[in-house]
Amino acid sequence: MRAPRALRTAGGALSAAWLVFLLLASVTASWWLPYQADAQDPAHALAGPSASHWLGTDDLGRDVLSRIAAGSWISVGPALLAVIVAFGAGIPLALLAAEHGRWVERGSSRFAELLLALPSIVILLAFVGAVGVHPWAIMTVLGVLLSAPVYRIFLGQAQSLRTRLYVDAARVNGVSSLRVNLRHVLPAMATTIAVQAAQLFAISVLIEAGLAFMGFGPSLPSPSWGGLIAAASQHVYDDPWLMVPTGAVLALTVIAANGLADAVAGGGREAEPAVRRTRGRAAVPAAPAAGGPIDGMLLDVRDLTVAVADGPALVTGVSFALPPGTVLGLVGESGCGKTMTARALPGLLPEGVEVTGGSVWFAGRDLAGLPDKDLRAVRGREIAVISQEPMVALDPMFSVGYQLTQPIRRFRGVGRAEARRIAEQLLREVGITGARRMLRSYPHQLSGGMAQRVCIALALTGSPKLLIADEPTTALDVTVQAEILSLLRALVRTTGLSVIIVSHDPGVVADLCDEVAVMYAGQVVESGTVAEVLGSPSHPYTAALLAANPHVAEGLPVPERLASIPGTVPAPPDWPTGCRFASRCSLATAECAAPVPVTPAHAGGPVVAGPVVAGPVVGGTVVGGTVRCVHPLSSPAPLPVPHHAEPGVSS
Amino acid sequence: MAVYLARRLAFAVVTILAASVVSFLLVHASGGSPGAITAGAGATPAQVAAENHRLGWDQPLVTQYLTWLGHAASGNLGVSLIDGHNIWSDLTARLPVTASIALFATLLSGIFGVLIGVAAAVRGGLADRTVTVGSGVALSLPQFWIGILLVYLIAIKAHLLPATGYVAFSASPSQYLQSLALPVITLAITGTAIIARTTRTGMVSALRQEHIRTLQALGTPPWRIRYVHALRFAAAPVVSVLGIQFIALFGGSVVIEQLFALPGLGQAAQNAIGNNDFPAVQGVVVIATVVVVITNLVLDLALGALDPRVRTA
Amino acid sequence: MNAPVPALSVQDLTVRYGRAGKALPAVDGVSFDVAPGETLGLVGESGSGKSTIGKAILGLQPANAGRILLHGADITKASLRQRRVTAVDLRVVFQDPYSSLNPAQTIGQTLAEPLRVLRVPGDQRRPRIGASLAAVGLPADAAERYPARFSGGQRQRIAIARALVCDPQVIVLDEPVSALDLSTQAQVLNLLADLRESRQLALLFIAHDLGVVRFLAQRVVVLYRGQVMEAGPAEDVTQRPRHPYSVALTAAAPVPQPAEQARRRAAREALGVGAAGAAPPAADGCPFATRCPLATDVCHRDRPPLVSGVACHHADQVARLRLPPAAA
Repeated sequence: MRAPRALRTAGGALSAAWLVFLLLASVTASWWLPYQADAQDPAHALAGPSASHWLGTDDLGRDVLSRIAAGSWISVGPALLAVIVAFGAGIPLALLAAEHGRWVERGSSRFAELLLALPSIVILLAFVGAVGVHPWAIMTVLGVLLSAPVYRIFLGQAQSLRTRLYVDAARVNGVSSLRVNLRHVLPAMATTIAVQAAQLFAISVLIEAGLAFMGFGPSLPSPSWGGLIAAASQHVYDDPWLMVPTGAVLALTVIAANGLADAVAGGGREAEPAVRRTRGRAAVPAAPAAGGPIDGMLLDVRDLTVAVADGPALVTGVSFALPPGTVLGLVGESGCGKTMTARALPGLLPEGVEVTGGSVWFAGRDLAGLPDKDLRAVRGREIAVISQEPMVALDPMFSVGYQLTQPIRRFRGVGRAEARRIAEQLLREVGITGARRMLRSYPHQLSGGMAQRVCIALALTGSPKLLIADEPTTALDVTVQAEILSLLRALVRTTGLSVIIVSHDPGVVADLCDEVAVMYAGQVVESGTVAEVLGSPSHPYTAALLAANPHVAEGLPVPERLASIPGTVPAPPDWPTGCRFASRCSLATAECAAPVPVTPAHAGGPVVAGPVVAGPVVGGTVVGGTVRCVHPLSSPAPLPVPHHAEPGVSS
Repeated sequence: MAVYLARRLAFAVVTILAASVVSFLLVHASGGSPGAITAGAGATPAQVAAENHRLGWDQPLVTQYLTWLGHAASGNLGVSLIDGHNIWSDLTARLPVTASIALFATLLSGIFGVLIGVAAAVRGGLADRTVTVGSGVALSLPQFWIGILLVYLIAIKAHLLPATGYVAFSASPSQYLQSLALPVITLAITGTAIIARTTRTGMVSALRQEHIRTLQALGTPPWRIRYVHALRFAAAPVVSVLGIQFIALFGGSVVIEQLFALPGLGQAAQNAIGNNDFPAVQGVVVIATVVVVITNLVLDLALGALDPRVRTA
Repeated sequence: MNAPVPALSVQDLTVRYGRAGKALPAVDGVSFDVAPGETLGLVGESGSGKSTIGKAILGLQPANAGRILLHGADITKASLRQRRVTAVDLRVVFQDPYSSLNPAQTIGQTLAEPLRVLRVPGDQRRPRIGASLAAVGLPADAAERYPARFSGGQRQRIAIARALVCDPQVIVLDEPVSALDLSTQAQVLNLLADLRESRQLALLFIAHDLGVVRFLAQRVVVLYRGQVMEAGPAEDVTQRPRHPYSVALTAAAPVPQPAEQARRRAAREALGVGAAGAAPPAADGCPFATRCPLATDVCHRDRPPLVSGVACHHADQVARLRLPPAAA
């Protein structure tokens, strides 16, 4: 399953090739060896490489190449046995312990810890002393000792895998525990097993060679590699060359085993370049938008396009503007590009995604063209961000107080004591009682709501003008959500903060926002004041989205069936040139196949849209609500007939 | 916290006892007897039996073990069958040798490994790939082979450092360091490779965490993100591996000590086993286990200090 | 009135995590019944114990006290092995569509697994899998594909198909639509409503979203910190809640009409319900007492009994807390 991918890398292929070659060579040794492993030729002892002896001869004139080849199985085989024993004992124990909960796990983990604490080499030697030198037996004992780390590693994995819901589903369906382990838990561990097996094999080969070196290997004249190196070390003065082939073949084998482990593991994220290279050069957008920013706007986004580097666009032609002290909602479903749009503003897009067109006018500058160094000065101080999962947004290693005071000191240039005072005050402003105690707390001690309040306080440390809130309440309980929304409202009122809130919930938008932009498949399909857009939607998608909402207003009866939208959202590579909603729209006509311009809608609302660059151009800039539809709904139009009893067309 | 410590200590004691039982059993399984050694070669069976009786070999196993345990608890590990030397004082004299090597090697690995690993993680690209490939090769090389090559090149050919032998610190600090240099460098090659990899992986993983996004959104300078926050997050696995390194070096020093003729615990183990010196074997296993157990305890404390989630649990 | 044997009956269920006496139980004396063909909504926020109840019913979490009856038969202590026989009719649909299907198995293999446990002969499996997929609106050739090829909504349908393939009578749905988009959520909810009617299924619908529950459930049980606060017909509980917590819950859910939402917000803020992160509940008394605007001494002392569907010492005063109805 996974192996073929590992073999496609250079390292993986070479490693596998060497190991296979070694195996074949050692198995077929007796057929192709030019000399017997113990055929002596004292006259030509300690000779260097020559035509008759490719790797030279040892102190008794024996051919080195033949001895190495003859000794390969005895040097490598027992190590394989150690691995088999280690996994054979470790994995079933780990699976059992993961399944049977506390007492079994405690007992076996203690036992494993015990094994790990024993000084392995000494135990092995003691074993040798007790029963004599039997490589296969010794490596079995090593396998037993190694089963402890194997157990440790796979216990953690198995426990984590068992939390996956498909394991629970299988158990509920009555699948036997043996089958659950074999079909659901073990296959997911396959990659780790392959990696660990290769690494353990490498370690075992080295340990075995070490023992042989010390004289505890197979008895001479059997040519185990460790023994060969030991013999070679005796002659390091008069024939230093002898050390090379013997050690090299051992080293190459171990390198190959580790290389194979790397290749198998490297299929995953380990191989990716480490940190996101902060772009030193300016990310010059492909096509900055025409015209300058509109006066009086805090933020003026024109024709923003965000795309995967050398890949499809994720957001196209998005325009809106934000007066100071306003709250704008970006609402849509997953994949509509609302998060990408919000994160593009302060230049915080994920690795591999970049702004490829348009302008982001903020405080007189186009942020879209700025290098990261300049954007850093804007972030925190002028534009702040809070995100969806507050529990992981805070650094678990540092106290809340530290995480607050550091940016405070950086932004306001105050000393530690003053910073603490300000931090305490900020925490009170976000509604945390017991602010002083909170400063000493750590993030893992906080509930979701508390953590989000701390994140909001953190966002306020720089006294920003604009707060971008990326689904800030999605992960919170509904009562906690209500509290956080109230807090944000209060902050807007008292500090004049502007907020862009990204959400999939139109209710949240109705609660907090003044204006709203509805997004679908990378475009803004409708914008205007909340009252207009949510009250009398112009775009069929907005209407359908609202109709699908089960939160019917009070007093209205519950519908028989919810109005669902058939089909699914198209992925970015599949976006048509015309209206992207047409394939699912009940009002679609032939005209919808052509690119759709942005037209004014909703008389009120100062949400601004710039001229559309691609497709028909609407003259000048538009001030007010907009809609991107060939035949928008006239308000108050009845909503499209809900789709009845259709489970949905399969795609 | 106190309860946790007490439990760890209790478990540590159990571990040491278990190790002593294992070696005790192995020793008795070997088929030889101490009498045969003390009576000397060519002794008659009657003389051997007499010696065994004198040494208490014919008593029930449990009695023998408990007797040994009683003596061991008061610091008396008995005397060697071969030359009668006091095992406790011999081992405690050898302990600094093995400990010095393990400690210096771990320190070097830690310092260079972390520097290389952080650089690889932060710079990415060619540097990263070089470190990955290079460390893969370095940790695969057999240590005794490297040791011999280093001895040949540095000690014999270049006469820069002594090939073998050990000089105590108290005798001459500079010679002490010189005598340790080659063995420590040999061990540190593997160690650095392992630590570099662990650090690199830890840093890469740390830099992907969500709280790093938060720091970026605050405009935090990159150096602070990397060297204060990411490094701190990656510290725990690195410290863990350093601890394991030390233990592995301690327990695996046998080969290196033989190679460089260092009078450490490894040599004692080898001699004792080779000569069937039963009480000495017991002693070595126990001492080695005690060191391992203490290291694990210190490691636990260090990890607790590093990670507040463990500390406040 | 002599009701028929309930499809699912939970009586005085108590579940504790960890050692006894260490922490408050996750589920504390919860009782409810689900009649055949009925949908019961189990509503609560995090820490309410709703998921734990689901797990206990399914046998994934042992119960410390109380009974669970399936069609009248006691399955409380039945192990998963025994449930193969005694709880054949009980199936589950989980929340996360991305981890509820084994990525290494085809859809066909996933759906065949419960049939194999029931020893359904090989030749009968294909048609039943095909029928199951058709019932959820997916083509039969979906059985050849792997989960990675399907969207979240489609995977959730596959999970429903897996629950249906053995023709169960009772399905526990643990937040089945919480992870889905609004429009996908609507599709799946419609599907569940259809299936419920065509097959007369009894559904235990665990959710945190009152609007969703109101659409699908006939009766609702509201949980807070492991205890039942209110139980009754869905319409009544969601529109005319009789417990202060239910009032707070209904008031907190935002509606997408700005003017209406502003009114609700004002009314909600006037309620005076304490913040969620406030002092932890005491072991005695009503768990909501530390946040409740109506709380008095007796509330902190005595746990209120569940009387005609409400567990509140001051149930008579709750009506005045409720949001006044919208102007027509």
